[in-house]
Amino acid sequence: MQISPDGNLLDDLRSVLGDRVRDGDFELGLYGKDGSVLEGRPSLVCLPVNTDEVRQIVKICREHDRPFLARGSGTGLAGGAVPVGDPVIIATAKMNQILEVDLENRIAWVEPGVLNLDLTKELTPQGFHFAPDPSSQQVCSIGGNVANNSGGPHCLAYGVTSAHVAAIEVVLPDGSVTLLGDLAAEPPGYDLRGLFVGSEGTMGVATKVAVRLTPNPPAVRTLLLDFPDVRDGAATVSAIIAAGLIPAALEMMDKRAIEIVEAFVNAGYPTEADAVLLVELDGLPGGVEHGVEVVRSVAERHQVGNIRVAADNEERELLWKGRKNAFGAVARIKPDYYLHDTVVPRGKLVEVLEKVYKIADAYDLIAVNVFHAGDGNLHPILAYDSDEKGVLERVHAAGRAIVTASIEAGGVLSGEHGIGLEKRDYMGMLFSAHDMATQDLVREAFDPEGFANPLKVLPSGSRCSDSFGQHVPDGAWV
Amino acid sequence: MKEIAIDLGIPHHDLVSCVSCGLCLPHCPTYRVTQEESASPRGRIALMKHAESSGFIDQEFVGFMDACIQCRGCETACPAGVEFGSMMEATREALATQTSYQPWWRRLGYRTLGRPTVLAFASRVLSLLQRIKVVPKKLGLPQIPIIQRRLLASGTDVWLFTGCIMDAWMRDTHRAVQRVVEATGAGVQFPNKAAACCGALHVHAGLGDEARILAEKTMTAFPGSAPILVDSAGCGAQLKDYGHLLGTELAEKFSRRVFDVHEWLAERLDKLPKSQEPRGRVAVQDPCHLRHVQKSHQAVYQVLAHFTEPLGLDDEGLCCGAGGAYSAFHQETASQVRDRKIESIKRAGAPEVASANPGCLLHLRSAGVEVRHPLEIIDSIMTKDG
Ligand SMILES: Cc1cc2nc3c(=O)[nH]c(=O)nc-3n(C[C@H](O)[C@H](O)[C@H](O)COP(=O)(O)OP(=O)(O)OC[C@H]3O[C@@H](n4cnc5c(N)ncnc54)[C@H](O)[C@@H]3O)c2cc1C
Ligand code: SF4
Ligand code: SF4
Repeated sequence: MQISPDGNLLDDLRSVLGDRVRDGDFELGLYGKDGSVLEGRPSLVCLPVNTDEVRQIVKICREHDRPFLARGSGTGLAGGAVPVGDPVIIATAKMNQILEVDLENRIAWVEPGVLNLDLTKELTPQGFHFAPDPSSQQVCSIGGNVANNSGGPHCLAYGVTSAHVAAIEVVLPDGSVTLLGDLAAEPPGYDLRGLFVGSEGTMGVATKVAVRLTPNPPAVRTLLLDFPDVRDGAATVSAIIAAGLIPAALEMMDKRAIEIVEAFVNAGYPTEADAVLLVELDGLPGGVEHGVEVVRSVAERHQVGNIRVAADNEERELLWKGRKNAFGAVARIKPDYYLHDTVVPRGKLVEVLEKVYKIADAYDLIAVNVFHAGDGNLHPILAYDSDEKGVLERVHAAGRAIVTASIEAGGVLSGEHGIGLEKRDYMGMLFSAHDMATQDLVREAFDPEGFANPLKVLPSGSRCSDSFGQHVPDGAWV
Repeated sequence: MKEIAIDLGIPHHDLVSCVSCGLCLPHCPTYRVTQEESASPRGRIALMKHAESSGFIDQEFVGFMDACIQCRGCETACPAGVEFGSMMEATREALATQTSYQPWWRRLGYRTLGRPTVLAFASRVLSLLQRIKVVPKKLGLPQIPIIQRRLLASGTDVWLFTGCIMDAWMRDTHRAVQRVVEATGAGVQFPNKAAACCGALHVHAGLGDEARILAEKTMTAFPGSAPILVDSAGCGAQLKDYGHLLGTELAEKFSRRVFDVHEWLAERLDKLPKSQEPRGRVAVQDPCHLRHVQKSHQAVYQVLAHFTEPLGLDDEGLCCGAGGAYSAFHQETASQVRDRKIESIKRAGAPEVASANPGCLLHLRSAGVEVRHPLEIIDSIMTKDG
């Protein structure tokens, strides 16, 4: 049973937001899910339009002893925005203004609900872009990127979100507004901005973000290499990096992924290949051409099939469209998918990939692999149909086995999607109780009572008391 | 809120095909202007799921469904291949048959579309009112003629579908289209009154039975096997869907004869005269029913490129807000959506704007944008050049 919001909470919030507080049965359900397979139900949904409204919502929630949860576009893949513990949702979607673009200092101030690609599109004509480009970039919000410290194909060369955020205005869990970070290059003192980036909504709500702008590269080359054997593809990845080249992006897709993606984009992806690498080089024209030659010769030493170089921007965009829509396109083979996000040392890519296929076979599931090969960030996707009896147990068991295999290979739990709810109970596989208690102390420094996005990231019991006394609801799985 | 029992009748397989990735959100016009989950494709599908599993809806649900423009931009954007359009059509039909969703006066309005004599009479009244200047300009209605000159057949090579509102209000567009088609050497014939209305607006409104009756009637007006050309993207999409709507072999065969007029022309460009230099730049607004439903918007560019320099807009085919009858019932949302389109048109910076759908034309004109049908633009170039 849900704890129904007491009348005062609703009235108090309405007095600030009017009809931008939602409590309809149908509408609440829409804010119970994100891009993961988890589902919960919020007690109320608030749609603020500025910092002051967020501040007042947090204040009112505290007065009513009610947790809150910031939500961006709801594309998270770890259940970070899935409500547990009956929180009030603070949806930032209407806070979507680009407030200021300062080309001279290469900074833009934006509200958290601005969509990642909208920002880049606004900047492109002026010669700049926002470098982190998650595959969900057309829809994910800057606030979500900050909270999850999201990455993307081009983060191999440019670094993940944290490298592109200079300062953040935050409504802290106690209802005060503060600025973390500084526009100066090396601000003195602790890097609290760095702490907030990746905190998954557990340290307050980002209400304005100063992002760094990256100049568009003068030259870009995009190559599609196909391999008759996935092993050669993986070996090429390591060899490219070993040759001293850091491509802007270095992505890999296996056979199933190629087939699915091709069915959506018709970009001429080679469906007969065992694997493809999508390699992008950018920079000054001379360096880029040199890079193309390095990639070519390395790949030729590894039994590459065809090497296709995108002739123009249109072809380049089509190839990327395929890569960036791969997860969604998986639904063409099965209606549900469960996506993992682990990082393994590059040299162990093939070994772990083979284990992934074996695990999927053992649990009678389909595995599809599309991933950021350059930094060893695997995204094994298990495709399934939730209507099949008992399939969820198999999916969970296989998921756990994949995570275990990655960690055994010297990897980590999450590359970029965060821990959220989904991986929370796996934290113990990587961290000792002591480590987790220490992390919890950091969280407590921001949010001693656990008001902000409770029950996420750290397993309950990491700290001495669990203020809302709930565990991941078993029924939270869809 | 009062609960209403419902059975949407959407196949389970379709309902679960959405993986809630959200990639469609920025391509949905109503999400773009509201930023609300309930006004997004992902949200609407989740609402349908909830209704199907509980068997109940409430008035709020009806409002969320009614606010969808049915532009199907979400289908083009969806990597999972979710067939949103047919789910929404099923939902609307369930609402229309099982609830009081469509009040009598709206039903009456839709019925008029299928009655050429009533529509002609109503249009004449409107035309008189226009002349005594009591029809507000912002409705964007074209100057409706009091006396309509008949369209004259010139052969039997192709049919030109004439439709309801377009024939009553914009017959000159048909004339321009006829001249361009004839320039390829083909003779054009016109259907009789049985093809009074394609029924697209009825399907959108959930009035499936009316739409099926109109479809059956329309098909009788095109005997033989000559191709059926359509100069309205919305009607073309509907005629091409008769096979699916009626589920008969005859209807399938009929649908295969239907072409958007630009599709047909794009194959015959060599038969058209070439335009003189310099070519004027034309910003092209892609009607949703051409781009997202028929998926043949490229043909408009091909045909225009023969005479002009066509420029695409930078909004990836986001709807203009017209949506058939939508702009009449949801004026506020429709005009917010239109504002985005107008910005995009301005950015293209062309002196001329083209749209291949009468609904979009009227909607954009009502905001003061000078828009013409692509073939009207070509017709005037040909007349000038010739
Ligand atoms: C198809 C697809 C592809 C993806 N590809 C990638 C990829 O390549 N790389 C990658 O890293 N991720 C990827 N993701 C995951 C996801 O898109 C990112 O994590 C994204 O940054 C989430 O943004 P969002 O706005 O949707 O956040 P949400 O899902 O709404 O929220 C995510 C987390 O951020 C918190 N949060 C949101 N806004 C704020 C705020 N203003 N203040 C504080 N906390 C906040 C929430 O509480 C939650 O914990 C993908 C997802 C999908 C569906
Ligand atoms: S409709 Fe398609 S694009 Fe939209 S959320 Fe569902 S699966 Fe994703
Ligand atoms: S049909 Fe158009 S308005 Fe309706 S949900 Fe899809 S994109 Fe949005």
